[in-house]
Amino acid sequence: MRYYLRKLAFYTVALWAALTLNFLLPRMMPGDPVDLMISKLAAKGPVSAETRRSLELLLGTKSDQPLVSQYVDYLGNLAHGDFGISVTFFPQTVSTTIAQTLPWTIALMGIATLISFAIGILLGQLAGWKRGSWLDNLIPVTTMFQAVPYFWLALVLLYLLSSVTQVFPTSGGYDVYNVTPGFNLPFLRSAAYYGTLPALTIVISSIAGWMLGMRNMMVATLSEDYIVTAEAKGLKPRRIMTTYAARNAVLPSLAGFATTLGFVVSGSIITEQVFSYPGIGMTLMSAVQNNDYALMQGVFLVITISVLGANLLVDLLYALIDPRTRARA
Amino acid sequence: MRAGSPSSGSIAENFNPFSPTALQPARGIIYEPLYYYNLMSSGDPKPMLATGYSWNADGTKLTVTTRQGVKWSDGKPFSAADVAFTFNMIAKTASINTNGLAATAAVKDDHTVVLSFKKTSFVSGPSVLGDTAIVPEHLWKDKNPATDINRNPVGTGAYSVATFTPQSYELKRNPGYWQQGKPQIDKVRYISLASADAATSALLAGEVDWMSAYFPGFDGLMKGKKELSYVNTPALTTSLFACSSAKLGCKGPQTDVAVRQAIYAALDRDQLNKLAFSNVANPGSPTLLIPGRDDKWISPSVEAKTPQGADTGKAESVLTKGGWSKGPDGIYVKDGQRLSLTIQVVTGWSDFISAIDAMTQQLRKAGMEIKSSQMSWNEWNSRELKGTYQLSLNSIGLGPSTDPYYTYEGKYSSKNTAPAGQNASSNPARYANPAVDAAIAAAAQTNDEAAKLQQYAVIQDNIARDLPYIPMVIGSTLTEFNNSRATGWPTQDNLYSFPASWKAWDNGVVLQNLTPVK
Repeated sequence: MRYYLRKLAFYTVALWAALTLNFLLPRMMPGDPVDLMISKLAAKGPVSAETRRSLELLLGTKSDQPLVSQYVDYLGNLAHGDFGISVTFFPQTVSTTIAQTLPWTIALMGIATLISFAIGILLGQLAGWKRGSWLDNLIPVTTMFQAVPYFWLALVLLYLLSSVTQVFPTSGGYDVYNVTPGFNLPFLRSAAYYGTLPALTIVISSIAGWMLGMRNMMVATLSEDYIVTAEAKGLKPRRIMTTYAARNAVLPSLAGFATTLGFVVSGSIITEQVFSYPGIGMTLMSAVQNNDYALMQGVFLVITISVLGANLLVDLLYALIDPRTRARA
Repeated sequence: MRAGSPSSGSIAENFNPFSPTALQPARGIIYEPLYYYNLMSSGDPKPMLATGYSWNADGTKLTVTTRQGVKWSDGKPFSAADVAFTFNMIAKTASINTNGLAATAAVKDDHTVVLSFKKTSFVSGPSVLGDTAIVPEHLWKDKNPATDINRNPVGTGAYSVATFTPQSYELKRNPGYWQQGKPQIDKVRYISLASADAATSALLAGEVDWMSAYFPGFDGLMKGKKELSYVNTPALTTSLFACSSAKLGCKGPQTDVAVRQAIYAALDRDQLNKLAFSNVANPGSPTLLIPGRDDKWISPSVEAKTPQGADTGKAESVLTKGGWSKGPDGIYVKDGQRLSLTIQVVTGWSDFISAIDAMTQQLRKAGMEIKSSQMSWNEWNSRELKGTYQLSLNSIGLGPSTDPYYTYEGKYSSKNTAPAGQNASSNPARYANPAVDAAIAAAAQTNDEAAKLQQYAVIQDNIARDLPYIPMVIGSTLTEFNNSRATGWPTQDNLYSFPASWKAWDNGVVLQNLTPVK
């Protein structure tokens, strides 16, 4: 019990530190939202001295308020789940904006990460089981795809599969002309079709890590005494591979997988940028470009919580799966 | 029909025409102004919801006759009371009063409204008449005009909102529109194009009919597609903004007027246009006006157009006269200070960056050293406002009408600047010249063109000499059309409106003018 309490206390401190950084970082950036909005308006039409006053009133920016009292307000509002109002999407609240975009990211990145993990583990297991087979030759190929910068791989695939051959659409989350979002089959089908190419690029570029890790663990596990015993007992090779070797070999990968899940949200920025995908990565980009503190903080908070949450989950689960990791109480 | 709108991934519903983040159709397509000012010609404004206006002699009372027979899209009649309500609401609500209008409006009869100003306000005319959306009193009297996102807007315009999702929204024809037989296009869909790449491929794939974006090699890419056409409407003067006033705390060689004049003379604008702007930019004017459209406003005592080739000899003689002498490395020196300047530019603005590269070579020949510094938009903008830059590559924006007053008042009035370190509102060059200030103030007091011309001539003599903004070229504004679903787009010969899809008010005029292709 003490183990769990100590873990929880540690994560609470980590969360507080993250929240505080989250508060400070955006405020160190140059410019403020009012200036930004004025300059953007100025590109389209006349802006007078009164515009600044009207925007300050409108956005309610109290830039002369001391940092400490801003910080106290910030923590208080977070406790109520109030992230404030986004400047970019004014007067929409940050919670609404995140609620609109987060599902896209979780669906795309979550499914892609799952697929990548499943395929990688399966191939790694087979490659470790049959060392020296053709599957071993697949590893350098997948590693090459992982070594290529992700945005480059994504751009090349986008060019080949969307611009040249037009197998996949070039941008967006679904066919905006013909379907209406909601739980209906045409929309889900369209969303799946639009998500295939981005998901494909993620799978291709991340599969090597899972495969290599699993293969090597598999090789190490196969030299364990209990595998020899199992073979001596005359168990079927298939059973040895799955329930004896793979089951133990997958442990480190499982831990890695849980951590990766935490990065699902933050890892989507480049993917969404390349494919103009309407997820949270795009939202974060526009928040940064518009000095939208409230929105940035909201998105960072989602990222922080997902990373911390995933880590906590692994920590707790691992103690169950593998008693050796439990601290001596 | 499909129009592309630049956005960042998702669209936030906001059809409140007074909100700075309102969606494009709110201003011009759904709500309309009293008059329409076409920035592509210097002609008279076109009547929209008003049929006439007149000023009293001292410019404190504006009488507007409103159009009869106009209906809101919910069927209720439009009247002078709505106009009066709109202006009174703006005057009352500081947070939406972006133009600082202090007009109080009174209804004289069903179709006459009188706006009273505290002081002479001829110059407010275009923003009152042409830059204010008129909203219905019966729906807006209970709204908070600052924060209401105005779902299902009711306007007098040609379209109303049919469906909305964060990725795209659709407008449908207003069957009771007051202009007979218009609009002819039934539905207009706006989609979000997150990046220039996404916009380009959507255009080439025929997924979008109307958008405004510059993309490298657009000419070649569009040549193969017969249904695509484009219009180039150069209107924004690309200029080197100089932090020009040492008195207000600017630092660097550019605070010396001789240096600014030398840069002006040493630029080879033909080459810049070719190398950086795909040859689609037009020559600018040292008066910051647009040659051609604004000829009547340009004083004969200044050059109407910028020189196109480089005049290195002139640049060097200006510098020598200003007390600069050539150092051992070929760069001019004065009082131990080398003539080395840093130009700030936004990362990723590729045409501006290549312009700076070309400029570096050109100015080097005249003994000036240029360094370029790329930074994020935020930082670039904040340095410009704070006056902590030397030179900045930027564009001069549009005004509510073609009257030069709006550019001059915004960019050159010392009222709109501040010492370095504090935010300047619209005069980042920190230009402060009492003669110019006086001329701007005098021009605001009159509605007589000849009297205005006199004042503008004074301003132009001063600014063409002082050059706090060194004009380079008039940058292109490219708008692309797909003619396979709709025709009647503005063309180079028939610019009945500023064609950019993002331009408020003009977008409504363009849509009304389209006819569907059968």
